[in-house]
Amino acid sequence: MSALDLSLLGQAAAIAAGDADPAELLDAALARIEERNPAVNAVVETFPERSREMLAAAPEGPLRGVPVVIKDEWPLPWRAQRFGAAEMMTATAPGESGPYRALHDAGAVIVGVANMHELGASSTGNTSVYGAARNPWDIERCPGGSSSGPAAAVAARLVAGAVGADGIGSIRFPAAYCGLTGLKPTFGRAAMAGHHMEGISTTIVSGPLCADAADCRLLGSALFGGDLAPGDAAGLRIGVIRDPVSEDVAPEVREACEIAIEQLRSETGGEVREVELAGLDAAALATVLIANVESLGESSPERLNDLDPEISPINRGFLKYRMLLPAAAGVKSYRIRTLMRRRMAALFEQVDVLAWPTVPAVAPPLEAPLVELPSGTLTADQANVRGAGLANLTGIPALSVPVGLDAGGLPIALQLQAAWGRDELLLDAAEALERANGRHWVDALPPLAQVEPTEA
Amino acid sequence: MESADRAEQFIPAGLASLGIEADEIELAVMNAAHQMFWPSILDLLALDLGELEPERDPDLSRAPERP
Repeated sequence: MSALDLSLLGQAAAIAAGDADPAELLDAALARIEERNPAVNAVVETFPERSREMLAAAPEGPLRGVPVVIKDEWPLPWRAQRFGAAEMMTATAPGESGPYRALHDAGAVIVGVANMHELGASSTGNTSVYGAARNPWDIERCPGGSSSGPAAAVAARLVAGAVGADGIGSIRFPAAYCGLTGLKPTFGRAAMAGHHMEGISTTIVSGPLCADAADCRLLGSALFGGDLAPGDAAGLRIGVIRDPVSEDVAPEVREACEIAIEQLRSETGGEVREVELAGLDAAALATVLIANVESLGESSPERLNDLDPEISPINRGFLKYRMLLPAAAGVKSYRIRTLMRRRMAALFEQVDVLAWPTVPAVAPPLEAPLVELPSGTLTADQANVRGAGLANLTGIPALSVPVGLDAGGLPIALQLQAAWGRDELLLDAAEALERANGRHWVDALPPLAQVEPTEA
Repeated sequence: MESADRAEQFIPAGLASLGIEADEIELAVMNAAHQMFWPSILDLLALDLGELEPERDPDLSRAPERP
């Protein structure tokens, strides 16, 4: 087995112990990208010389010599982000983003820039200036968005870790669709410097996408600038909500998540409590409105009349439509945030985590991202935002973990959310769940990654 | 039907008042977005949140202080 097939933690340990040569590992990652990436379009640019320079200068950090990819949402010293688009509404330039600096200081080697949904504007990942990324579990399916490339890259085992960003579920959706573990940190805890919305956005955070919780803990620690220390999640109080987020989901998703919640309860010696949380629909809308209102600063009629024609028609139309949103709706969205933050604070006095399916249905087709739910057919975006926006609206951390495969072999995922600053507890809970199910789902590989690799 | 007509007027009128141009495809996208979001936006606008005490200088990395 190539060292590249080890976990992120395993690669770091092998290098530290002298059992793996980081230069060979970098070459293997580049060769793997060359071999597998054409099928998934996860990595949109590599820069071997820059990567080798990073390796040569890598400090003795916890990720020394470990190859990773970073979403096209963060500038690098040698490359401005493109945000998956032919044109951004904000001026950008190469530079040292917070995630770049965090990776550099941890000794990691950025081996490529990962694809993303155009302008970060969808949970599907089916539109990008680079062409859509594809789901390694089924390349005709959506990889999830907007961190489509990071997820597809890790699922295809091009690398073991990727840095994404999550403004309305954009780490958790692709983690769910691609069978990975993805952490949306508490707002403000993870590196954000250099993002074109830094200081403006109140929903976006950087975060890790990896195969399992231990790898997310390692990569997350780098992004947080401090250890995400392990605990044990003993006696975990798990809150479940009998609401559309748990009920209006595909039957296989519901069943797999219910099994996982019971496994988590059993493993932690905890309890499951049914709780109520009013206002989830309003919270989802408020999250969308806040994210859009906060992006309006660079928009003007003149600017919108001169959009690059390569921007997709959907985004061109939506960029213009959001200029028509009533100001009162934006203001009320911030009031909904206050309301939901107070409700969540009260809820987290009763339970330690909230659990519901990350997405209500498995990855839909790239060409028609619709999902069939008990309530009817919805666009994936309509369906997905219902369960994901709350964490971005309120600032709490949230994590997606794989908990099964449907009959078609596509991943199913459970979302766990905890109170502000309890990111570590989410990782502890995810590790408990991995123990409970024998790591069955975090170790599952998509067909594309089961191919015997040809190493350099 | 009446509300659909109002929606069809809202977008062209709003764009025209702002001086924003749109082609047929963009208008179709906007109409779809409007149908998707507008009913919920109207519900949001109808909410009476006047008695909700604002969160002063909210720190989203922490739980809110008790009002």
